[in-house]
Amino acid sequence: MLEKREFEQSDFLYRLSLAVTVVSGFFSLIVFLLLVVNYMQIRAADPVNNEMITKMRQEYAALPEEDPALAQRIRDLDLLTRKAFFTTQTHLRVGAVMLLVGVSLFLIAFKYMMRWKRDLPKLAETPTAEKEFLAFAQSRQLIAWGGVGLLGVGMMTALLTEGAIYSTVDARILEAPPAATSAQNAATEAQAAASPEGIAKAIETPAWEAMELNWPTFRGPGSTGVAHFTSAPTQWDLAAGTGVKWKTETQLPGHNSPVVWENRLYFSGANETTREVYCYDTESGELVWKKTLDRFQGTPAEPPKVNEEAGFAAPSMAVHGKQVFAIFANGDLASYTAEGEFVWGLNIGLPDNHYGHASSLLAYGNLLYVQRDDNSKARLLAFDLATGKEAWEAERKTISWASPILARTSFGPQLILNSEATVDGYAPDTGKLLWSQECLGGEVAPSPAYGNGVVFAANEYATASLIKLNGTAEAIQPEIAWQYDSFLPEVSSPVLDGERVYFATSAGQLVALDTKAGTELWVEELAESFYSSPVLVGDKVFILGTEGKMYIVQAGSDFALLATLNVGEGTFATPAYLDGKIYLRSTGHLYCIESSHG
Amino acid sequence: MLLWLFIGGVLLASLPGNAAEMRFPPPDFQTEYRIPDLYTPAPATTNGVFDALMLFAALCITTWLVFRARSRRGLFLMSIFSLAYFGFYRTGCICPVGSTQNVLAGIFVPDVGVSIVVLSFFVMPLLFSLFFGRVFCASVCPLGAIQELVAIAPIRISPALDRTLGLGRYLYLGLATVGVATGAGFLICRYDPFVGLYRLGHSYGMLLAGGVILLLGVFIARPYCRFLCPYGVLLGWMSRFSKWHLDIPPSPCVSCRLCENSCPYNAIDMPTPAHLVEDPIKGKRRLRYILFASPLIIAMGAVGGYSIYEPLSRVHPTVALSERVALEDLGRVQGDILESRTFRASEKTVETLHGEALGLRDVFKKAGAWLGGFMALIICLKLIELSTVPKREVYTPHKETCFSCGRCYPYCPVEPKRVAS
Amino acid sequence: MSELTKLDRRDFMRGAAAVTFAGAAYAAVGDKTEGTVWQLDPNKCTQCGRCSTHCVLNPSAVKCMNQFNICGYCDLCFGYLQPGSRGRDTGAENQLCPTAAIKRTYIEDPYYEYVIDEERCIGCAKCVKACLVFGNASFYLQIRQDICINCNECSIAKACPSDSFSRVPASTPYIYLTGGVETTIPVRKGEEPQEKTVQHPA
Repeated sequence: MLEKREFEQSDFLYRLSLAVTVVSGFFSLIVFLLLVVNYMQIRAADPVNNEMITKMRQEYAALPEEDPALAQRIRDLDLLTRKAFFTTQTHLRVGAVMLLVGVSLFLIAFKYMMRWKRDLPKLAETPTAEKEFLAFAQSRQLIAWGGVGLLGVGMMTALLTEGAIYSTVDARILEAPPAATSAQNAATEAQAAASPEGIAKAIETPAWEAMELNWPTFRGPGSTGVAHFTSAPTQWDLAAGTGVKWKTETQLPGHNSPVVWENRLYFSGANETTREVYCYDTESGELVWKKTLDRFQGTPAEPPKVNEEAGFAAPSMAVHGKQVFAIFANGDLASYTAEGEFVWGLNIGLPDNHYGHASSLLAYGNLLYVQRDDNSKARLLAFDLATGKEAWEAERKTISWASPILARTSFGPQLILNSEATVDGYAPDTGKLLWSQECLGGEVAPSPAYGNGVVFAANEYATASLIKLNGTAEAIQPEIAWQYDSFLPEVSSPVLDGERVYFATSAGQLVALDTKAGTELWVEELAESFYSSPVLVGDKVFILGTEGKMYIVQAGSDFALLATLNVGEGTFATPAYLDGKIYLRSTGHLYCIESSHG
Repeated sequence: MLLWLFIGGVLLASLPGNAAEMRFPPPDFQTEYRIPDLYTPAPATTNGVFDALMLFAALCITTWLVFRARSRRGLFLMSIFSLAYFGFYRTGCICPVGSTQNVLAGIFVPDVGVSIVVLSFFVMPLLFSLFFGRVFCASVCPLGAIQELVAIAPIRISPALDRTLGLGRYLYLGLATVGVATGAGFLICRYDPFVGLYRLGHSYGMLLAGGVILLLGVFIARPYCRFLCPYGVLLGWMSRFSKWHLDIPPSPCVSCRLCENSCPYNAIDMPTPAHLVEDPIKGKRRLRYILFASPLIIAMGAVGGYSIYEPLSRVHPTVALSERVALEDLGRVQGDILESRTFRASEKTVETLHGEALGLRDVFKKAGAWLGGFMALIICLKLIELSTVPKREVYTPHKETCFSCGRCYPYCPVEPKRVAS
Repeated sequence: MSELTKLDRRDFMRGAAAVTFAGAAYAAVGDKTEGTVWQLDPNKCTQCGRCSTHCVLNPSAVKCMNQFNICGYCDLCFGYLQPGSRGRDTGAENQLCPTAAIKRTYIEDPYYEYVIDEERCIGCAKCVKACLVFGNASFYLQIRQDICINCNECSIAKACPSDSFSRVPASTPYIYLTGGVETTIPVRKGEEPQEKTVQHPA
């Protein structure tokens, strides 16, 4: 019975369904347009990345005190965004259902419209069957052309594809040795080859004696905090301008400390986009040259996320005779000659630890040492000075933000590094682990100290340990002589004078301990806070407080404050102490301080 | 080196970076407080057995509607049910069309198994097709159902165009197989045009694609089924050899020609007009040419497929990432994207990545050649099928392309007689 | 339709072929009977935020959960508070969660419980990242299996840059962090943690 009615017609029902079709069609169209608008709104009202709120929150956090009005505005905007987000989502769901209903109604009405005015089956003039059979030849042709078309499209795509990108990569992979850093090596090789031949020849490897006479690294020769010259000026006042030989403004910011070799002083500065290395004349204070780093292979396009207070140029440079080295927060490592000629440069990768790359550089012999600590992989890298090729890589157990020091022990020179759990000694030429002593904990920032056959390592929340190195050169046996934990340094590194160890805490105390007995000799409250490291200059300990004061203390078993000097400006870097001069980098200036009677 | 200024106060002594280690020890509560359990509700959709039973039931009912009830309206209502249940209620997952990929993964990818439920979703429609024709397409498949429902004013397109566009299904099947075999992903699911509608939300692009196909489907009936559906290829092959199939007249055809224009899918084979019967020698000669040319065509297809391995391989995320990283390193593109950033932060080296990508490109060379050869083979088979004009007496549905939708039933004058009796 | 019920030898052959075909397919695909569901591995997750934007569902089926036995119940919760926030309340200037989905409840001095309201959570991973960097990593993302519709190809899995998504057996549908509960307690010398943590960079 059903099928009999199939071909009935009814004008009224046709008109009725036509009306429903038109109405529901319009309805669906409007709902559809609203949905599109709604969708756009949802994209705009993204509560996760609302720039306005983020900006206001940052503003609020930077204010010196609470601002209820701004807080209220943040709350209002946040509420608005969230409301918008959730209501538009509800709208979207309701809208989708409405559209579904509308379209269904439209389809049903449309179907009935067709059904009540259906064309009766008619027989065509030319039977469809005939056309059908004539279509056989047509089908064969069209299918054949379809195949040709497919082939053509395929060929066109293949031709238009840029295969060249890959051939470069192909070649590199196929030719390069399987070493992990082969890509970097290839790059540095190319760069080394491109640089003038003269440079490589000009590079020399200065002996320790030459290093001692200079200030080649952070915390002086070997990075141990002991100055070779004992004639650093003790009476001056930077705020008042007394004792200042010269003063110059620095350019890009950077917390790294100045390094000095003969009559040249170097430090680096960087912001998000630019990384620069500066060379100054130590006599005149004039800028001799300034180099802006190029992008190296692997240099990330985006600036790395750094903590505001760390900046983009935290690690200090190293100078090694006629060659200088600088490393930046984005992993760029570059070398220049003393004349400012580019020697090599590469990117060692963005370090994966939550404060970023912090350890300063150290050069010794013909190698440059980079402590490269990733959470997943802590290691010590050594690069060939002349080529920038990786000479060796030593695995470390855990990371730290301390810097390597070079200790000249009776067993020969050693690199001593603090990690979050251990103090380790490495052979400078091979990277072989010579000894390892567990004694640290927490997030380690202070570097170790070395003097007179003992190593001192300490960190807040852990303990301070004096480590004696026993045994033979082949098998060094570390031994903890004593431990101490009443006061501990958090940032500042300790220094040894042979009989005593001095260190400064973040709470502002300067502490002296007896290295033999491990007893507390004296503890003095000096500053608000110490983050800078003490440096031993002859029989005096020089240390900078965070508030712009320099304290000079007699090195000895009894406390004697020799001078409190005024810097007058916030200082982050540890100064360089040379013959009769101190080179001090403050946040905005570089000073050369000269002894008034020297 | 006073970087440490800012860290001192921020953090407690801790061993940073290692997520598995605790910076703050769990508290030792003095009060009655009890540490709550985690709220981890069980999966909502694991019991696929019921869905498999529903699929079986739907196939049985459709078979009954096609063969015994011969009711177009019944099939139409069944389509609404399938759309509601398999489409909107079960959100289009799991479906036999997509299950093809799971089975392919089971075959090509080591260590990947296919559960009984997924397998039954894949096999059941094929078995029904082998016995009863494409009853699955008629009113069980949710993708087919939604298109069948909107196909209100269908026009017939030229059979030649229909057949040529139909090659799209084979291409899609080939690409989907390449996608699964190389590990690039499940392309059929990724580009499922209607799944967004069933879920009332998805990516903007896919919703739009679904809308366009449906709008087109009002006039060109079932465009996805006819020109794209990869599972339809398999169903068609099965149906070609089906034991029983829908017949237009329930009893001997009277060749009244009334049903000639009833099928919007060009799926009715018509009796050969006497004056168009071709000289069989001509047809045979054509057949011979094509048979001889076939190996050459297939070889050409394989070469053509091989040559597109480079663009083809970019479907694979590893290859795409490797190329991106290479471009960044060579300085050809500025900036990075989330993928390359994440990769660089990971432990994997650039060499490993490029190495993997190179290996994959070799896989794609092979896959491309197979794909090209397969497409060429399909074209040859189509040409062979079309090389001779068959001699037919009555109006019969074309077993491979007929969806068993029942649109032709009401047009047959023999039908009311049957209903009356 | 009496033909339908009649079986001859050819039908038998066809049936046999079908059974063989099904058997071959079954043999090809192995015999794993257990169903699987999608889940993300919090150990691999890089908190990129795509979970909240790439799910076919809106809001996403990925939610943050707080594993209470790892949680430090800190007063200064970095997953709850904006960096450098002055107050510890739900004010929008202090709160990290963009949808205010974390509820803070006082338990006892100095502990607070943090519960995630899943109706509101959109899986953006902001709190996850903060807790991972500064805390115990007790916040982490998981696919809520009662919400997930278990697509054949998970849209987020396709978009995930760190390849964190995989199929897991439906009987063990969550991947928990162990948190190293028994293994590591940080070195600390008797100081109250809160005294130290208040000194925060502005």
